Amino acid sequence: MKKLLAVLLAAVVGLGLAQEQVTIGILSPLTGGAAGTGLAQRAGFELALAEINAAGGVLGQPLRIIIEDDRADPATSVAAFEKLMTEDGVEFIAGGFASGATLALVESFRTFQPVVSWIGGAASGIGNDDFDGIEELLGPEEWFFHIHPWDYQNVQATFGFVQDIGVQSVAVLHENGAFGTPGAAGLEIGLEALGIDVVLREAFQSTLTGGTGDFRASLSKVGGTGADMLYWIGYDSDAQPLTSQVRELNVTPQHIFGAPPGWPADFGAAPEAQCVTGLIGYLPNLPNPEAVTFASAYTAMHGTAPDNYMAALAYAQLWSFADAINAAGTTDQAAVIEQMQTMSFRSPMGDWRFSPSTQGLHQGFGADMWLVFQYQNGVREIVWPGERATAPLIACR
Amino acid sequence: MDLSLLPQALISGVLAAGLYALVSVGLALAIGVIGIVNFAHGEFFMVGAFFAYQLFVSFGFDPLLSILFVAPALFLIGALLYQTTIRFVLKAPELNQMLLTFGIGIILQNLALSIWGGDPRSIGAVPYRAIGIQLGNVSIGLVPLGSFVISVILVGGLYYMLARTPLGRAMRAVAQNRIGAGLVGLEVNRVYLIAFALSALLAGIGGVMIAVIQSPTPTVGLGFTLKAFAIVVLAGLGNIRGIVTASLLVAVSESLVATLLPNGDSLRNAVFFAIIFATLVYRSWRKL
Repeated sequence: MKKLLAVLLAAVVGLGLAQEQVTIGILSPLTGGAAGTGLAQRAGFELALAEINAAGGVLGQPLRIIIEDDRADPATSVAAFEKLMTEDGVEFIAGGFASGATLALVESFRTFQPVVSWIGGAASGIGNDDFDGIEELLGPEEWFFHIHPWDYQNVQATFGFVQDIGVQSVAVLHENGAFGTPGAAGLEIGLEALGIDVVLREAFQSTLTGGTGDFRASLSKVGGTGADMLYWIGYDSDAQPLTSQVRELNVTPQHIFGAPPGWPADFGAAPEAQCVTGLIGYLPNLPNPEAVTFASAYTAMHGTAPDNYMAALAYAQLWSFADAINAAGTTDQAAVIEQMQTMSFRSPMGDWRFSPSTQGLHQGFGADMWLVFQYQNGVREIVWPGERATAPLIACR
Repeated sequence: MDLSLLPQALISGVLAAGLYALVSVGLALAIGVIGIVNFAHGEFFMVGAFFAYQLFVSFGFDPLLSILFVAPALFLIGALLYQTTIRFVLKAPELNQMLLTFGIGIILQNLALSIWGGDPRSIGAVPYRAIGIQLGNVSIGLVPLGSFVISVILVGGLYYMLARTPLGRAMRAVAQNRIGAGLVGLEVNRVYLIAFALSALLAGIGGVMIAVIQSPTPTVGLGFTLKAFAIVVLAGLGNIRGIVTASLLVAVSESLVATLLPNGDSLRNAVFFAIIFATLVYRSWRKL
């Protein structure tokens, strides 16, 4: 009898000590209009997963990820999230892209309260009284971590650039959704505070949300302003029609600055790309050693260079979860959150950590993540900040 | 409201009407002749755009030259889809027909996604894409002008075919009375096949033009499909002759609203939904 009890006791203790395999649920737009971004994220997750498991996994077991396609669609996102929580029983959520889909998830996140590390959803709501943004709604939650810079941090990054190159007046075109509208409002406030005249702020229908790519009406208004800079906030697929129609209508300002989440493949080869500038968080030709290592590993795994910075952010996000859970030594939510709050993590952009933002407790990257690049003869050259520039800025006229 | 922009708005609207008519006339052909509402029409458009992109990337073909290859390819795809799927639901309830074409659209979208990925693709070096002919304060883009001319030729050719050729007469006969046309010896199924394939061909050529103007994505057909439905409703379901007038009305209205109102571009979709609404209400009121 004593032997039997001893065996049972050993079995119970053994079961208690054995760690379960950790699973991270991921929401990403793998199909639909934002699929380019989602597929880039997936490529980053796949590389990070391979490296994490090659390095021993999480809590001694191979890490497992489940990627659900949210199509960047609010209803699909909520259904996919609830499936991850109820059917798959995950405790950690990663991925994330569209602001509209993120806003739809707010109540579901609050209901289940897993540890959420969220890449996208940059619409903070800060500075916009008509709109409750993601930073306002989720930023104060202990369990919510945000990776991508907020919209006001995106525009802050450009202020230094705009000031440095001596721009006096800016015409702002923006897509009319949750991404472009608050971003443009923040941009206008910031530029006016710097004494830079915002001569036009005009909304357009993006090609991503059912627009036909005819921007002539909005651009003809820009032509009448004589602005030094055209600043547009839209999506990847708007880049080519918008920049070619700028030339077609002969409204070319001195500088054209675009702020889409990514740029179309092969856009650099188009003549109208010449002199177009934009923000980028990561480029394969960045000189820092982490960027070089990431680019070569990514190319070896996927056969192409990482040309969308969302891949780099996804890679950084999964590694941060793995490092934090390993450091906590448990999947206990409070312990993991504590590690995520205090640890420093690796990324292709260099080391980073979560710190408070305007209303958020845990913000990953800020305005200093951004670089300004310019298409010059088919290549994206870094033109700002000066100490990291690979080429001098050229004017469009 | 800056009225100095009015001439540019009118020119842009008229030029856009050409492409709208080209995309819509194919949809009207499928509805008018076969009696099927093809929700995959925008995907034919998308496939045409990606074919043009691929011909450019693989062989360096100018997109306009690629029309010579894309048009027959889309004709064959349309014929194949008709022969393998559409013809089996011609007598089925309309809901089944719509579900089938909706499903075909999703399959084509996902095929494109797996082949070309979700990133917008750009036909890089098109030397004439950004050229505008300046006439005073008005700029006429070479690409919109070219697409307008091609659309006029194709839509005009289609009208001529319908009015003056034996095939056109057969299509009109089948559209009026399927059983009667069969009784007088017309091969109804063959006429349907040609009409559906022609519809795909016209959408494919529209797709080639859009590949020049913007970056193809698997969902690039969405915006134009919505416009095409609005135009078809405005012209009257199946009324192919009314397409040109309806396209002009939608395109010019959109352009005027987009240019003359603050944030007008974001009201473009509201314009065509308003047109559909007004048309349907007017037609209901007239029947009373």
